[in-house]
Amino acid sequence: MTRFWSIAFSAFAVAFFALLLGIFVVQSIPAWQHSGMGYVTGSRWFFRTHQFGALPMIYGTIVVSGVALLLAAPVGLASAIFTAEYLPRKARLAVKVLIELLAGIPSVIYGLLGILLLRNWIYDLFARFDISSGDTLLTAAVLLAVMILPTVVTLSDDALRGVPGAQRHAARSLGLTRAETICTVSLRQSARGLVSALLLGLGRAIGETIAVFLVVGRQDNNLPERWLSLRPLLESGQTLTTKLGGAEANIAYGDPLHWAAMMGLGLLLLAIVIVTTIGGVWKKVGHDA
Amino acid sequence: MRRLLDRLLFATCGATALLVCALLIGVVFVIAQRGAPAMSWTFLTEQIRQVGAQGGIFFNLVGTVILITTALVVCTPVAIGLALLERVYVRSERWRRSLGVFLYTLNGLPSIVFGIFGFIVFVKWLGWGKSWLSGGILLGMMILPTVTVALIERMKALPSRYVQAAAALGLKQSQIIWSVILPQTRSGLLTGSLLGMARAAGETAPIMFTATIFAGATQPHGVKESPVLSLPYHIFILAQDSFDPAVGAKLWGAALVLLALVLLLSGIALPGRLKMHEEANV
Repeated sequence: MTRFWSIAFSAFAVAFFALLLGIFVVQSIPAWQHSGMGYVTGSRWFFRTHQFGALPMIYGTIVVSGVALLLAAPVGLASAIFTAEYLPRKARLAVKVLIELLAGIPSVIYGLLGILLLRNWIYDLFARFDISSGDTLLTAAVLLAVMILPTVVTLSDDALRGVPGAQRHAARSLGLTRAETICTVSLRQSARGLVSALLLGLGRAIGETIAVFLVVGRQDNNLPERWLSLRPLLESGQTLTTKLGGAEANIAYGDPLHWAAMMGLGLLLLAIVIVTTIGGVWKKVGHDA
Repeated sequence: MRRLLDRLLFATCGATALLVCALLIGVVFVIAQRGAPAMSWTFLTEQIRQVGAQGGIFFNLVGTVILITTALVVCTPVAIGLALLERVYVRSERWRRSLGVFLYTLNGLPSIVFGIFGFIVFVKWLGWGKSWLSGGILLGMMILPTVTVALIERMKALPSRYVQAAAALGLKQSQIIWSVILPQTRSGLLTGSLLGMARAAGETAPIMFTATIFAGATQPHGVKESPVLSLPYHIFILAQDSFDPAVGAKLWGAALVLLALVLLLSGIALPGRLKMHEEANV
């Protein structure tokens, strides 16, 4: 009986997940039939004339989460090096628990800080570049960077601690300084775990909705005119998640094609996040078991 | 030169770690500082009036408690089932690993995807409209990995001689589960549940299309068309047009209450969490 229920409940969880994936696949089919590959490469989204090009949203998602990772990675890694390599055990656990506690701060609270504080700071800082408001992709990226820091720090710290102490001792006894030991032994041996930490942080950044929604400006069809400049960072935009979380999701349901296009965005989001997450955990889970 | 580089790395990393801690503590500090003026007993016990400019957040708090309790009730049996499957019933390493990847993937799914999924299934297909129950179920599935992983970690740390002793006494597998494994890992379930509830309390995206409205709901009656108010959605809506200073003060107050609730829940889970770190021994 216990076995039956255990399997039944597990099957429920798997079925839930499968249904979720299935719904996004099936309900987005009309959009793929309507636009073909143009759905992903098209740069125009006007639902009244049934033009559905998701590229601006994909661009927004990549820029926002990419910049967030660029900001969070060095800071997160350096902090993890400090907690894992320098701090004594008790202090390390204290810092780690503190950081994990703060990882639980809800995204709507980060959003609130973003909309009421960070937005103004960004505006003041970049006002001389003639920006229209503080609702920029950069604002969202900075906010996301802070949000994913705890994930990056605590997972990188785990990865670094996974390197056997004997290796460090060997390196030290060969006369290497602590810094040299870290660079040649710890970082190199934990490289895989560190990449996982970054990927899981990236996955979180890509999927984050509420905080980004509040600060990104949500302007449709905003692809940069010049790709190789930093200017587009200071403009508003739209990401996959903000589009899905916006008011358009409510009006789209009446029109099957429009709804399919929205579900297509969800499917793209799911695909990107799942690939990133699995990339991050594939090796890791094997090691833990 | 080598010494210098050594010192430099130490100083840089130390400074960065301090920066990270300061940044995160700063977030809490700012919320506490700005939210404190709004805090009063009536803020917690009155209902919302004049689009958030007056009154309090009583029914928002009630709604959030209803949502996270439902989430926990939905999640617990499934989490126990999954944890037992992973630790007891699945023998092959490959399946165990797939289950692990499944849990991590579920954990990484964007919350908005749950919201849209719930909108289709509960609001449209089942015709519930906005209902506390759909929000509870969605949040329950969102926090499933948190609870399950905490339980699995605790089960891994259970000394194998407990199970062996029970088996030597002639207990059947199901008896071992009910009389040894589950009672001995209760603390893991508790830690996981608290962390899960802390996470569920702050989520906005899964409930905004499915379970919660901004004003006009009290306690739910029945399932269909019975939305609740909630703290995160309250903050989310007010944050978008908070030009009225009266609303602003209440808004920070609501944020402080939500943050306090989340930190309280994860704070109670703290000893359990420390134990998990000690047992993982990394």
